[in-house]
Amino acid sequence: MALHVPKAPGFAQMLKDGAKHYSGLEEAVFRNIQACKELAQTTRTAYGPNGMNKMVINHLEKLFVTNDAATILRELEVQHPAARMIVMASHMQEQEVGDGTNFVLVFAGALLELAEELLRMGLSVSEVIEGYEMACKKALEILPDCVCSSAKNLSDVEEASSLIRTAVMSKQYGNEDFLSKLIAQACVSIFPESGNFNVDGVRVCKIVGSGLTASSVLHGMVFKRETEGDITSIKDAKIAVFSCPFDCMVTETKGTVLIKNAEELMSFSRGEENMMESQVKAIADAGATVVVTGGKVADMALHYANKYQLMVVRMNSKWDLRRLCKTVGAVALPRLTPPTPEEMGHCDSVYLTEVGDTQVVVFKHEKEEGAISTLVIRGSTNNLMDDIERAVDDGVNTFKVLVRDKRLLPGAGATEIELAKHITSYGESCPGLEQYAIKKFAEAFEAIPRALAENSGVKGNELISKLYAVHQEGNKNIGFDIEGEGAAVKDMLEAGILDPYLVKHWGIKLATNSAVTVLRVDQIIMAKPAGGPKAPKQQGHWDKDSWEDEPDKFDSHY
Amino acid sequence: MMPTQIILLKEGTDSSQGVPQLVSNINACQVIAEAVRTTLGPRGMDKLMVDNRGKATISNDGATILKLLDVVHPAAKTLVDIAKSQDAEVGDGTTSVTLLAAEFLKQVKPYVEEGLHPQTIIRSSTATQLAVKKINEIAVSVKKGDKDEQKSLLVKCASTALNSKLIAVQKEFFSMMVVDAVMMLDDLLPLKMIGMKKVQGGALEDSQLVAGVAFKKTFSYAGFEMQPKKYENPKIALLNVELELKAEKENAEVRVKSVEDYQAIVDAEWNILYDKLEKIYKSGAKVVLSKLPIGDVATQFFADRDLFCAGRVQEEDLKRTMMACGGSIQTSVGSLTDDVLGQCALFEEVQVGGERYNFFKGCPKAKTCTIILRGGAEQFMEETERSLHDAIMIVRRAIKNDSVVAGGGAIEMELSKYLRDYSRTIPGKQQLLIGAYAKALEIIPRQLCDNAGFDATNILNKLRAKHAQAGMWYGVDVNNEDIADNYIACVWEPSIVRINALTAASEAACLILSVDETIKNPRSTVDGPPGGQGRGRGRPHAH
Repeated sequence: MALHVPKAPGFAQMLKDGAKHYSGLEEAVFRNIQACKELAQTTRTAYGPNGMNKMVINHLEKLFVTNDAATILRELEVQHPAARMIVMASHMQEQEVGDGTNFVLVFAGALLELAEELLRMGLSVSEVIEGYEMACKKALEILPDCVCSSAKNLSDVEEASSLIRTAVMSKQYGNEDFLSKLIAQACVSIFPESGNFNVDGVRVCKIVGSGLTASSVLHGMVFKRETEGDITSIKDAKIAVFSCPFDCMVTETKGTVLIKNAEELMSFSRGEENMMESQVKAIADAGATVVVTGGKVADMALHYANKYQLMVVRMNSKWDLRRLCKTVGAVALPRLTPPTPEEMGHCDSVYLTEVGDTQVVVFKHEKEEGAISTLVIRGSTNNLMDDIERAVDDGVNTFKVLVRDKRLLPGAGATEIELAKHITSYGESCPGLEQYAIKKFAEAFEAIPRALAENSGVKGNELISKLYAVHQEGNKNIGFDIEGEGAAVKDMLEAGILDPYLVKHWGIKLATNSAVTVLRVDQIIMAKPAGGPKAPKQQGHWDKDSWEDEPDKFDSHY
Repeated sequence: MMPTQIILLKEGTDSSQGVPQLVSNINACQVIAEAVRTTLGPRGMDKLMVDNRGKATISNDGATILKLLDVVHPAAKTLVDIAKSQDAEVGDGTTSVTLLAAEFLKQVKPYVEEGLHPQTIIRSSTATQLAVKKINEIAVSVKKGDKDEQKSLLVKCASTALNSKLIAVQKEFFSMMVVDAVMMLDDLLPLKMIGMKKVQGGALEDSQLVAGVAFKKTFSYAGFEMQPKKYENPKIALLNVELELKAEKENAEVRVKSVEDYQAIVDAEWNILYDKLEKIYKSGAKVVLSKLPIGDVATQFFADRDLFCAGRVQEEDLKRTMMACGGSIQTSVGSLTDDVLGQCALFEEVQVGGERYNFFKGCPKAKTCTIILRGGAEQFMEETERSLHDAIMIVRRAIKNDSVVAGGGAIEMELSKYLRDYSRTIPGKQQLLIGAYAKALEIIPRQLCDNAGFDATNILNKLRAKHAQAGMWYGVDVNNEDIADNYIACVWEPSIVRINALTAASEAACLILSVDETIKNPRSTVDGPPGGQGRGRGRPHAH
């Protein structure tokens, strides 16, 4: 009989060897708070227009240069369980509204930091939680009162661009006017009367070379591909889309062609050629001038396509194919059959052109129709273009949010200070111990203007006291003036720095929820990680265009 | 009890932040620039690089050098990227762009160390927009209408580009060649339509431009010797057909019952081949080119009938032949009509150095050409090829944007003066920063002097004085160790090259300045499927 080794008494006794177990205020709650604070510290310096970029090298050695909190967190692979919770909250924010991810992190971090003080003061965790929840409810009640204006006509490029500007500013400070205009053009052109805006309708095509200011927007789609055949440009194109290879059909079942005599052998290859020709001819006769295929293009098929003056474009990604169908209004055919007129798409011009030294195929609509527009982003490095793409993402999402809810709040810390003011006075009207927590909640709002100020090299306290002073006088739209010298303030409504209502709404809600969840934990039990091979991780986003992953083609010296 | 450390991130994650991080990034960029610094200009030196497989490359092209350096530092990689971007966009000026970016960073480094906020510095990149505007203002545009004038402009641009290269001695020869080559192309100016072939031996001057297509003789079978090697006004068949005995289809199966049937099948296979050959012969083509092999039966068949054939022609070459001679590439011999056959004035096979070359000359469409380079060592010819590539790109850009500025540091000095004057008119920190930007631009003439062994301070002083007296185009004169009006001296560059270089360099500098933290995840070992060991399988299985 094996000798029984007694384990330490207590909870650990029940667990397997190697499991970790922490409990209580000291071991669990403070540790969690500490971890979240550290995380928030990293992203805090990236907040706002003057926030600094982070260089993140992920586990595949891919370099990211960004100040987008969502991207930083995604590539960081945060391991601490509690910190993961606020990361999750920020992901929720990204999915819900697409912008303001850093707001969630900074605010949740501030909430937890202040909670620690309360706990050390001797409040119980539940009192803190109760106070936070009450304050959060109150904040969301007050928030509609802070609304200072609302978007009137989103189909107006000028107005849309001024609204997107704030979101773009925090990512690409210095280029915000140029970029927001491009994004607004792209968004407005695909914004239908019905009011259903699809984020997927704005595509980004990054081509290295030149500078950001050479970027442009066009109606239709751009693919970084070359055409297959000899024909490179077609006006007023009728487009037939095939999801199958542009080749003769192959049997799925394995089989061989049985040849019995010499004549059969002689006529065999001829027959195949004729069949291909008749197929291609049928497509051309149906009126199609462009063939887009999702698979391989056979030499023989290409030969006949050239003969019948068909332009052939091959597309690697099914998603691209689907989007193209949407743009040109075509139906993707699963077999190489002649398309009916309804199944064919239409596009004003399809042509091959050279941008920098990259060959691109452009499907372009002259008129404002179709459901997809493309931003062609130029930039000197891939990292820069990636970051611009993220800024575009945020801009487009802001537009989407505005479509859902047109209300706007003043930015640059104005809303936060206003909320803090109201919640502090609300807290004072509460009799119980939660009063402390409510007041701390109000204090947490100060973290936002403080981060803005500190990132700009301005003393946070100086700014906050100034802001409180002007807000007390009733100027509720006054926020931090980032361009002024020192702790300057100005009216955000006049400056046009406005945040969508929903971004703030969800931001506050999600940040509070995640902070409360972290506080609720009083025990951490970690099982020993199992050995053995790790499950393969799913790489990348499911909706990743395959050509984006292609290695850089730099060999221009052929 | 020691509190256990909180593990926030994965073990092995490396993170560094703050101003020291920024300064170290800047330093890394300086190191990169140091590597290419001495290659700038006509008196720049070449670099010899040996890669891990022992292949030696001699180059003076910034992009090529940086690419071969295999930089791993994340910030320094940005510089490599902009060199690539410059290469992609304009093809030349890759060294300048790297130098400029590094110099911008170097000039603002003291400010960073003093605690000036990087975003303030980044905002001063408005200087770039001003500079670009200025370039557009002062650039001299040449009218496109006048062919001769345009050509002389292009030749000057090409020779400026070639000035700094290995083949600077023969720059007149090559710049004419490059311009002629590019002028032959159609409006799109596709780079692919200029073929470049290298034949070892001979002198550089023996290089030639063929208005048409030339490619190396392909592998040939017996019977090839009997074929004529010269035709006048031949018709050319371009095929993508295998002219050899082969299975018609992979998954076909023949089942025969008697010996006669078997013989018939064998005959049929021959007949299929002869049928194809007969059709080609009937079409009237004299020269048969195919992407796929042409077997010995076919070779002899053609030899008997006074035809020339070449199999396994490179696809590019075949495409260029198509562009030059007309016709189209046929995947079947079923419809070899006259309109799919190409035509040229003269076809011949010629000895070039130690190689046999097929020449197609006097093509009706002639939207393509081929440069045959001759020279000594292999590396030398490779570098020549790269230099010509740069020159070709420059000429292409110059055709598309017909405005030029004077090179040799002239434009940089002018911009520097303009920005310095401008900076005096604005208050605040921006004054200092735009001043720094202006100073950074002087790196180009300074490096030109340094590389040529001149006293940079002296020359720069002279230049500043000249530019202050409205000598707009004065730049370094490397031949006389002095300054000269480079516009008159015909040291011209397309303005787009400078515009792109400035934009790219300042974008890169801003990118590097905007980073204050680097977080490095440990590299995940890409663990494939678990190996076969330890699973009780005793033997390794062969794949």
